[in-house]
Amino acid sequence: MIKGVGGEVLWVNLTKGSIEKRPLDEGIVKQYLLGAGYLSRVLTDMIPVGIDPLSPKNVLGIATGLLTGSMFPQASRHVIAALSPLTDIWGESHAAGFWGAELKLAGYDVIFFTGASHDPVYLNIRDSEVDLLDAEDLWGRDVFETDDLLHERHGRRCRTLAIGQAGENLVRYAAIMNDRDRASARSGLGAVMGSKKLKAICVRGTGKIEVADPDNYLRVMDGFYNRMLANPFTPERARYGTTNLVELMHNIGRLPSYNMRQGVFEGYMKISGEVITERYLVKPRADWSCLQRCGRYTAVRRGPYAYEGGSPEFESQSSLGSRCGNDNVESVLYAHHLANKYGMDTISLGATISWAMEAWDEGILTAEDTGGLDLSWGNHEVIVRLTEMIAFREGFGDLLAEGSYRAARRIGRGSERFVMAVKKQEIAGQEPRAQKSMGLAAVTAARGADHLYAFPVLDEAGFDDDIKKRFGEQYLPEMADRLNPKYKGIMVKECEDYMVVVESLGLCKYGTQIPPEFYYEDVAEALRVHNGLAFTVEELRTIGERIVNLNRMFNVARGVTRRDDNLPERLTKEPAPLGPPKGQIVELDEMLDEYYEQRGWDPETGVPRDETLERLGLK
Amino acid sequence: MAELRFVFGDPHVCTGCMICVNVCSMYYFKVIGPERARVRVLRIEPGLDFPLFCRNCEDAPCISACPENALTRTSKGVIIVNNRLCTGCGLCVDACPYYAIHINPDNGKAIKCIQCEECVRRCPVGAIWMTTERELAAHDSDGRLARLYEEHAAELYDRRGD
Repeated sequence: MIKGVGGEVLWVNLTKGSIEKRPLDEGIVKQYLLGAGYLSRVLTDMIPVGIDPLSPKNVLGIATGLLTGSMFPQASRHVIAALSPLTDIWGESHAAGFWGAELKLAGYDVIFFTGASHDPVYLNIRDSEVDLLDAEDLWGRDVFETDDLLHERHGRRCRTLAIGQAGENLVRYAAIMNDRDRASARSGLGAVMGSKKLKAICVRGTGKIEVADPDNYLRVMDGFYNRMLANPFTPERARYGTTNLVELMHNIGRLPSYNMRQGVFEGYMKISGEVITERYLVKPRADWSCLQRCGRYTAVRRGPYAYEGGSPEFESQSSLGSRCGNDNVESVLYAHHLANKYGMDTISLGATISWAMEAWDEGILTAEDTGGLDLSWGNHEVIVRLTEMIAFREGFGDLLAEGSYRAARRIGRGSERFVMAVKKQEIAGQEPRAQKSMGLAAVTAARGADHLYAFPVLDEAGFDDDIKKRFGEQYLPEMADRLNPKYKGIMVKECEDYMVVVESLGLCKYGTQIPPEFYYEDVAEALRVHNGLAFTVEELRTIGERIVNLNRMFNVARGVTRRDDNLPERLTKEPAPLGPPKGQIVELDEMLDEYYEQRGWDPETGVPRDETLERLGLK
Repeated sequence: MAELRFVFGDPHVCTGCMICVNVCSMYYFKVIGPERARVRVLRIEPGLDFPLFCRNCEDAPCISACPENALTRTSKGVIIVNNRLCTGCGLCVDACPYYAIHINPDNGKAIKCIQCEECVRRCPVGAIWMTTERELAAHDSDGRLARLYEEHAAELYDRRGD
């Protein structure tokens, strides 16, 4: 009997309106843990090949991790997965907050939604009582209004997860929001919820989480707390969140600017963490058991961009700021606020607008296409206006709601070469010509372009000692050099394996990867005292590998091969024009060869070899 | 008798992380469960996180409300619950103006903060601290904290809707 979990899985058939409770499948947990791993196993088996992601045949899973709701530092997270309507392959997204811990306290670890409802509904969970309720009066409302109404109806202690209008309107990069401003944003899973007419999940759990080793629990967790607090990254994170990455990334030439034409932005100081902290920060906010508190609570007090709420983080500053050539910081904050309110991924949002801006700059898009909108670089009024138009699919916003890949296919005229995406998902805020590992990670990630699947940050900021610890001294200095492609295949493979384990435990990548404070032996100890599970470090590594290979097979079944593991030509053929990476390209093929070899995948096709699948029990 | 002490929190500093709550339920009941903690944390928008504790009132309405004399004040000024006498009737819960005492659903006994400071020691942001009415008045000389608690009293101490 696994301790430290809710113990039950909810199966909600939205077509029939039926709800079934089944015990957590401990056999799956032994092979795949919980969270991302559990969803990977169940959904790979359930989602048919060749379906429309927005049809009732898609299955949406939401899972907490084995340590979600524990006292481990930053143990707040849940993961959501389905076939992605943006990429048509594996879709997965994660968020922090309190919702996941609340689900555990109500007695559940995972929820699966099959079918689709005819009329809008929401799921209300209060401990053992689980009901599908009419959401007619919630449909059409934004995320904040929905949160307010659910609190009015079900008490102020409930926690909510919801889509806004973007999800209802099937924007292909709609987010699923929770606790108001936490976003499971990538992969467009908000549109899957919208297609199922599922508006929200409201949870109140008054139960308890029983841990495996109650006598030693606090002592062990105190040890983790003290290490996290003593780490020099913690006060830096507390002060700036991720906002000052703008300055740091500009300085290394890794700040995507002007649709990734370059990695430096002359207006970077205006949208910097320093400016946001000085002028707009109200307070840092944390999620369940979080010592890093990178969450920002900010306010613009007057003017056209006045708001108060949770925002921003680095990805939004770069996508809605430098990537669009926009140095108007209040518009960046406000557009982020609107993206939270309507429920959209700020990365794909800003990247899709910046694709349009470059096509405009090149004379491909004209006022005739845009309905008269002037898409000049840095036109902040248009960025804000488009954010609304996309959420409601109005005018030109309807085209951009499809994402840059589909929009470019429709427009044609050479605009395709400005699509900065991998497997139809827009590349996040890491200009890979300035950090080669990020270029490789973007192409190997299971959900299309993604910095988090591997989160290979060990070559970013002087983590030589950690590279030595995790890989061995023989890989220095090359592995720590972000411009050197050497050993990046080894690094990305290892980082992916560890990060999918972290995603299966419900932990944050802050603390496990940057800073790299906690590693396999630490999470193994947490699994012992919290869950009573005695995994060895080697077993956990194998589980990570198994999940990555399973995700790959999900995509292989949908036609993905080495050909799709590719970056836009700009990044592999055009030398970076400015700044510290000037003259650099991403040496992708060289890194991919090393990566496939590490993975045991065929170098020609990028498909896992039979012996690899057999070794991992996937054959 | 010593001056009455209590733990108090600043909703502008508190991040809402729940660490105090988890420490409390784990320290006393060896489980994670906010209903088993003697502290509550309530998030109120815009931007406030209130960590809420027993205020150790001088007139202690909880003591007078208890028909079993299960609540007493120790020589150090701490109000404690005698589990052998407590029947879980809930009259103390109704009497407390701060909703700072409630019934543990596992054993049916009243639980409240006894100022042990296990949470205070572990708060990562220093949002909670031990104080007295006199010290708090000096600390809050501009009345910022008093106003915040006053303005939101209806939500903070409302037992319904939990």
